[in-house]
Amino acid sequence: MSVMKHIFPALTLASAMMIASCSSVQRDPGKIYMPDMAYSRAIETYSDPSSLKAAGINYNGAPVAGTVKREGIAAFPIAIDKAGDTVNYVASKQVPNPLSPLNEKDMAEAKRLYNVNCAICHGEKLDGNGPIYNGGNGPYPIAPKNLVADPVVSKMPAGQMMYSVTYGKNLMGSYASQLSTKQRWMVIHYLQSMQPGGAPKAATTDSTAVAKTN
Amino acid sequence: MAQDGKALFQTNCASCHALNKKLTGPALAGVEERGPWADRKKLYAWIRNPAGFAKTEPYAANLIKEYGVLMTGFNALTDAEIDAIVTYINTPPPAGTPAPGAATAPAAEEDNSFLYGILSLVLGVIALILLQINSNLKKLADQKVGVERAEPVPFWKNKAYVATAIIILFLVGGYFTIQGAIGLGRQTNYQPEQPIYYSHKVHAGINQVNCLYCHGGAMEGKHANIPSVNVCMNCHMAINEYKGPELVREDGSKVDGTAEIQKLYQYAGWDPSVNKYTSPGKPIEWIKIHNLPDHVYFNHSQHTKAGGVQCQTCHGPIQEMGEVYQFSNLSMGWCINCHRETSVKFKENGFYSMYEKFHNDIKAGKMDSVTVEKIGGTECQKCHY
Repeated sequence: MSVMKHIFPALTLASAMMIASCSSVQRDPGKIYMPDMAYSRAIETYSDPSSLKAAGINYNGAPVAGTVKREGIAAFPIAIDKAGDTVNYVASKQVPNPLSPLNEKDMAEAKRLYNVNCAICHGEKLDGNGPIYNGGNGPYPIAPKNLVADPVVSKMPAGQMMYSVTYGKNLMGSYASQLSTKQRWMVIHYLQSMQPGGAPKAATTDSTAVAKTN
Repeated sequence: MAQDGKALFQTNCASCHALNKKLTGPALAGVEERGPWADRKKLYAWIRNPAGFAKTEPYAANLIKEYGVLMTGFNALTDAEIDAIVTYINTPPPAGTPAPGAATAPAAEEDNSFLYGILSLVLGVIALILLQINSNLKKLADQKVGVERAEPVPFWKNKAYVATAIIILFLVGGYFTIQGAIGLGRQTNYQPEQPIYYSHKVHAGINQVNCLYCHGGAMEGKHANIPSVNVCMNCHMAINEYKGPELVREDGSKVDGTAEIQKLYQYAGWDPSVNKYTSPGKPIEWIKIHNLPDHVYFNHSQHTKAGGVQCQTCHGPIQEMGEVYQFSNLSMGWCINCHRETSVKFKENGFYSMYEKFHNDIKAGKMDSVTVEKIGGTECQKCHY
C-alpha cells in the first residue's frame, strides 16, 4: 500500500492548487501579447500629462479662454458671484436666452438632456420628486425644487436659470462640465415650455410635451 | 396633526433644511433648545420675515453670517401651521421603517462545476483504491488455492495505463495551452480594486442615475468620460452617508459606504462639517478596465448615437455590478460577430441617407434590414487605420 502514501499528498496538493486557481475575482489584467501595441505610447485621453511637463511642453488640456466650438454659442456673459454676494445673480435676470425657440427635434433633444441630467433630482415631471429624493425616501436628504409649481422657479427669467445651472445654487452643483452652453440654454427652453403660462413653447406645436405638464 | 406637519415641512422647509443634517440651512431637530426659538412668537416673526427679524435679534444675524444665505420668508404660513411643523420636527420618526430598496435576498445561483470536479476526483480515487483492493484480494485468493501467478505489473508500468495517461495529459494540456494563447491580451472579467469603492449597483441600479449623467461623452464623442470629482459632488454635497443595503466586495469583505464617501471628500477637498470646499482637490485615479489596443479605433458616439446601442450590450449588467468587471472580451471576433448580426436603424436616420441602393431595395421589398456588415462594418479600414 505504499502507493497510497504517495497518492494522497499529491491529490491534496492538486486540489489545493485547483481551489487557489478557481477564485472568481480577477484583480489582475492578465498577460499581454506585444504590450507595446496594447498599451498606447501616445498621450491619449486620461493619460497623465505630467511627462509632457517634464519635457518642457506646455499642456493643460483646456481650450484657450473664450474659445467657441463649431456650431456652439458664446459663453454665458455673467461671472460668478463672490461668496456671500448676489449682485451677479440678480444681474443675470437681464440676460435673454440667445437661442430662438426650439423646433420639435431640438425640443426632443432638450427633453432628453433634461431627463439625463436634471430629472434625477427634479423629476421627469419637473415636480421636484426625482428618484434620488423619492418623496423623502431616497438618499437625497432635502427636497429638490419643484420646477413647475414653485413660484421662485416658475417665474424665474431664463438668464437667472442659466446662472444657477452654470454656477450652481445652494446645494445644486454647476452643470457647466456636463452640458455645453448651448445645451444649457436648450434645457432652459424645454423647462420653460413645461412651466405653466407665458413661457415660449416649441416653435412647431408639440402638443404631447405640453399635455404632460398636467 | 403630525401628518399635516410633515406635508407642510416637505413643501416649505425641506428644500433647505433636514431634521438631522446641516444643509443649506441648519438641521432643525431640537430647534427649540437653541437661541431664542423657545419663544414661539420670535419663531413666527423670523419665519415670516427673516430679514426684518435679524435686525433685532443678534442670534439670527449670526445664522445668516454662518450659512452665507438669508432664509426665504414664508409670509403665508399661519401660527397653527408653524406649530404643526414644529410638532413634526419634535416627533421622532417611527422606528423600524424599512429602508427603501432594502435587501431583497439575492437568488442563490452558484457555479456548481467546482463541486462536480471534487466529486469526480473523489470517485476516481475510490475507483483506484477498489481496483487495488480487487487485485490484492485476487492475489490472496490465488495464493490460497495454490495457483502460481506471475508477479503483476505495477500500474505505472502498465502500458495501457501509461498510454491513457499520456493521451489525457495531451488533451488537457493542449486545451489549456490553446485557451491561454487565445486569452493573451484579453481581459474578460478583469475587476480591479478601484481607489474608491464605487458601486454602479447603488448609483445606476437602486437610485436610477442615468448612465449618461456621469458618462455623457458616450453620446458626444470617442470616449465615454470618466466623471470628474465635481460631478460626484453634485449629489454628494448633500448625501454624506450611505444607508442602503449592505455592500460587499468581491472577496467577501464588507464595505463601509459612508467611509467611501469620506474618501470622495478627501479627493474633492470638501469639508462636510462646514459644507465648504476648504482645500484644493485632486483627481481620483480610477483604474482603466476596458483597454483596446492602440491599432483599433473605437468611437462611443458612433455606436450610441448613430447605432442606438445600449450600454449594457457591451458592458453587461452594469447596473447590477458592485465592482465593475469587463463583461465582453473585446476581441476582434466579438466585434465582427456583432457587426454581422446587428441591423442598423436604417429608416429615418439621416446618418445613412447616402446608401441609396439599400433604401430602394427596402422600398421594393427585396430586403427588410441592413446589417452593419452591409454598410462596410467588417472592412479592415473601418477600425484599423
